[in-house]
Amino acid sequence: MQVFLQTVIGGVSLGAIYALVALGFSLVYRTMGLVNFAHGNVVTVGAYLASTFYLSTKLPFALAMVAAIVVTGVIGLVIERVLRPLENKDFDLMLIGTIGFGIVLDALIIMIWGATGRAVPSPVPAAPLQLLGLRIRTYDLVVLAIAAVATVLLVLFLQRTKRGAAMQAVAMDHEAATAVGIHVGRSNAIAFMIGAGLAALAGGLVGPLLYVSPALGGTLGIKGFAAAILGGFGNIPGAILGGIAIGILDAYTAGHFQGYSELVTFLVFTVVIMIRPTGIFGERTVNRA
Amino acid sequence: MTSTLTVEGLTVHYGGVCAVRDLSFSVPAGEAVGVIGANGAGKTSTLKAVMGLIPRQVGTLRFGDADLSRVPARTMVRHGIGYVPEGRHVFAGLSVEKNLLLGAYAQKWNAETRRTLAEVFELFPVLGEMRGRLAGALSGGQQQMLAIGRALMSSPRLLLLDEPSMGLSPKLVEDILAVLQRLRGEGLSLLLVEQNAKLTFEATSTCLVVENGEVAMTGTSATLRHDPQVRRIYLGL
Amino acid sequence: MRYRLALLALALLAVLLWLLPYGLDSYSIHVVNVIIIFAVLAVGLGLAMGIGGQVNLAQVAFFGVGAYATAILTTRSGLGFWFAAVLAVAVTMVVGLLVGLPALRIQSHYLGIVTLGLALAFTNWVTNAQIAGGAEGISAIPVPSLPGVDLSSEYLYYYLELIVFAVGLAFGLFVVRTGLGRRLRAMRDDSLAAGALGADVPALRLTAFLLASIYGGIGGVLYAGVIRYVAPESFNIANMFLLLAMVIIGGRQSLVGCVAGAVALSVLREALVDHPTVAQIAYGAVVVLVVVFAPTGLAGVPVRLRAAIERRRRGGAAAARLQAFQRYDVEPVQPGEQAPVLLRVASVSKHFRGLKALDDVSLTVVTGEIRGVVGPNGSGKTTLFNVISGLYRPTLGRVEFKGEDLTGKPPYRLARAGMSRTFQNLRLFGDLTVRENVLVALDRSRTTESWRYVLRPLSVRRRDQRLRAEADGVLDQYGLTEFAGLPPRSLPYGTQRRVEIARAVAAGPALLLLDEPAAGLNGEEVRQLNEMVHSIRDSGVTVIIIEHNMGLVMTMCEQVTVLASGRIIAEGTPAQVAATPAVIEAYLGDSMSDLPPVPTEVNQ
Repeated sequence: MQVFLQTVIGGVSLGAIYALVALGFSLVYRTMGLVNFAHGNVVTVGAYLASTFYLSTKLPFALAMVAAIVVTGVIGLVIERVLRPLENKDFDLMLIGTIGFGIVLDALIIMIWGATGRAVPSPVPAAPLQLLGLRIRTYDLVVLAIAAVATVLLVLFLQRTKRGAAMQAVAMDHEAATAVGIHVGRSNAIAFMIGAGLAALAGGLVGPLLYVSPALGGTLGIKGFAAAILGGFGNIPGAILGGIAIGILDAYTAGHFQGYSELVTFLVFTVVIMIRPTGIFGERTVNRA
Repeated sequence: MTSTLTVEGLTVHYGGVCAVRDLSFSVPAGEAVGVIGANGAGKTSTLKAVMGLIPRQVGTLRFGDADLSRVPARTMVRHGIGYVPEGRHVFAGLSVEKNLLLGAYAQKWNAETRRTLAEVFELFPVLGEMRGRLAGALSGGQQQMLAIGRALMSSPRLLLLDEPSMGLSPKLVEDILAVLQRLRGEGLSLLLVEQNAKLTFEATSTCLVVENGEVAMTGTSATLRHDPQVRRIYLGL
Repeated sequence: MRYRLALLALALLAVLLWLLPYGLDSYSIHVVNVIIIFAVLAVGLGLAMGIGGQVNLAQVAFFGVGAYATAILTTRSGLGFWFAAVLAVAVTMVVGLLVGLPALRIQSHYLGIVTLGLALAFTNWVTNAQIAGGAEGISAIPVPSLPGVDLSSEYLYYYLELIVFAVGLAFGLFVVRTGLGRRLRAMRDDSLAAGALGADVPALRLTAFLLASIYGGIGGVLYAGVIRYVAPESFNIANMFLLLAMVIIGGRQSLVGCVAGAVALSVLREALVDHPTVAQIAYGAVVVLVVVFAPTGLAGVPVRLRAAIERRRRGGAAAARLQAFQRYDVEPVQPGEQAPVLLRVASVSKHFRGLKALDDVSLTVVTGEIRGVVGPNGSGKTTLFNVISGLYRPTLGRVEFKGEDLTGKPPYRLARAGMSRTFQNLRLFGDLTVRENVLVALDRSRTTESWRYVLRPLSVRRRDQRLRAEADGVLDQYGLTEFAGLPPRSLPYGTQRRVEIARAVAAGPALLLLDEPAAGLNGEEVRQLNEMVHSIRDSGVTVIIIEHNMGLVMTMCEQVTVLASGRIIAEGTPAQVAATPAVIEAYLGDSMSDLPPVPTEVNQ
């Protein structure tokens, strides 16, 4: 039981990271109807930027993160602007377009920061807290706290503000949205920016947890994507739950299957999705033909 | 205060096909004008082109004093033109109330907006009953009312309606007609595109009959209504 | 003439390719050998994604399975290369089927993430498994032996690859141009309509993955034979995206385009071999550019050029025109007293999350009638059609067709049993020509019989030619001959409607369901529709029509069923139904006063 709980604890903070990545995916999907395959690469960029600002220019951790978020927000704007002609017309093509951007970002990362990675020290004391016989790292709590705040802010934005409602309306019917005066392109740009910002936040936070390398975004991106789908694509609380679930699943398989952990995680994911394609909270994609 | 909509030389091309050819008409202030014709005649293209939702060429597009020929579609609402799209197009995943509020997107959401919302609920009581429901759960007729209500939220001077009767039973069409007549009575200009000739004749004072993208006939609704040519083609006789 | 020119060009190309190695040094021929392998992989990916519409981000894993299987079987089990190769491809096919299973439940980006995840899982496995050599991979794979030919020479290996590639491409093109390819493309364009016309969509999805895996496996085998060393890095996600870029840039819907993309991208990478990151930025950027500016890829360029020239040439010339419908050459019939029951709907209810779309609906349709189903919006008419045609499973109740209980069976089963339908919102296959739309309906071959493609290709070809002749006959009957080679979306609305009806009838149904066939038609077109429906009935097809157009329902249908709020509120002849107070109240309002008296003469 002790081991089980410890595994859960271990998985939760990484799960919070997956949840942030999933949130970014789900937000862009919910508002633009687009799956952004470059999302993982944006996470990597965020991680590198944050660690560069933190390590090289010696900015305080929080400021380094903010700087990283701002820069990646711009990247998000660029991607949206370039792919704008395809918006609401051909989603498969737009998906492939984001893959293209992902390829470019991946190469740029290697060009700027080299192919080897870097380790990022934790900004808070590394000594873990002891609670009920379980060890909880302070940094894990920081991650959880920040992720929680980000989620709450996002939900408030979507439910309570005019722009948030407009963003969702654009996803549902961009022509009707235009007719009521919404600037579809701008709305999509903001959605993309927020999505990129969330990716950067995830990337910045994950630095002290994992080794920052060009491949970082790949795994985080795919697991974050899987988390978003698991919770029901486009569903905000679902993204959180999906992220935590994948995080715990990951920790469990790492403990029991060592090297084969990815294999097991993805097999489990595949089976779950086949049983319930709509995810836990669901979005209907199954068609009967 | 209402204004006249003037359209001259409207042309729309759809991938090689000329959907609308050099169309000209006007909607005088406070009047209701109908555009009828069979599907494929270019009626919906006309309305979408006026709104700027599809690429178009136009000689003159004026609403009152404002030149709208270069105005992008999303700014039309700020000039006082409301649009009710063909097929309702409500925001299915948002509540009825959110849908209506979004109709007033171009303005600040304040007390004035709340007042307009109350007026819309008074016009369509069923929407008030279902204000918290998701728009996607409403029936076709209710969604049509929601679409009209949403367009009214911006307090437009001219309302463009694209086939509001499509897919509705004759009884519901009667209800829509009553609403249109009431709005007319309050001084709202209407441009009504329809396939249902009967509804159009009763809701409007002037009509254009469009065939293959061109105006085949114009006249007052009263005279056109009894014109055998119109009856033959559009009433399926 | 064009045929002969093409043949000449092909022969010239073949000669050039045969002579190619003579001009290249040993490094270049190695590069060419790798390019050919990627071309084979690209064809497979194109078949799954471009032709079948299945997002397949596991192609690189199929490549890996083929290569690793060959490596393991030759080095660990000591099997001969060719025997190992055959087994390797077989293993890859099995893996392909397994990876295709999720496609039965999910599509699009969901399928993308699952296949990508499975590709990662594969890499994860080979990096860890002892038998696969872990991170170091497997080396010293034996040279494939061919009597008299030393295949350790890359020059000679080139010819082996060239022949395999040529056969593979030819086979791929053969599939695309005949029934299986058409069904795959129909499924890609509109899987719902494809199912309603009898295409076995689940089997087709698996077939798409199977095809992709065959080419993946073959590519893997060739790779193992030329490099003779396999390691996990060769089959990573970066290479998957590279493959994807090749297919997109080349044009995924054209197999030749996929090959062109593979060649172009490989050449680009070779040119920038000293600057791999620059190369990567380049091809990533090209993908974005292609997607935004030229979605049909390189292969689409000649097509678009041709279309632009056509448009300029056509200009004022008369466009294709709709001809008159020709009646079926049979005696008009009316259902007799003893007509057998064709369709029986027994106490069907359909609930959707608290909404009762259908509530205890029972309906009997006899052979040879023309039945109308009318009702206010939201009364459940289309839901009823969807239950009958298998798109929805009823919550309660039974549907019996030709005496057999077919409740809840998928649409393609019902289509094969003799049911056909049209859709309210027109579901034509957008990227197929009008003729091909009709061919999909005419083609009754089963996807499970696809083995014929490998073992009896000539019979497949003969059959296809027969079907084309039949299709032209159908088009002629419906006056659509001038539109045969055009894609549906360029046609006028009324013509598209007729194409949909012609397609539905071409499937040879016993029961035809027409969902609001008159929507958007003018009076003249409605008259033609009436004539068409009566003639179709006379030829032996029972018809059920959903309609709003009261005039049409009155003149066309012998019996009318009225639905309101999911329940049947009246049934009888049009005149009887029109007089029922409940019906008048719920639906007709006072619009009846504008209608002409019911004509006594039905056929004009």
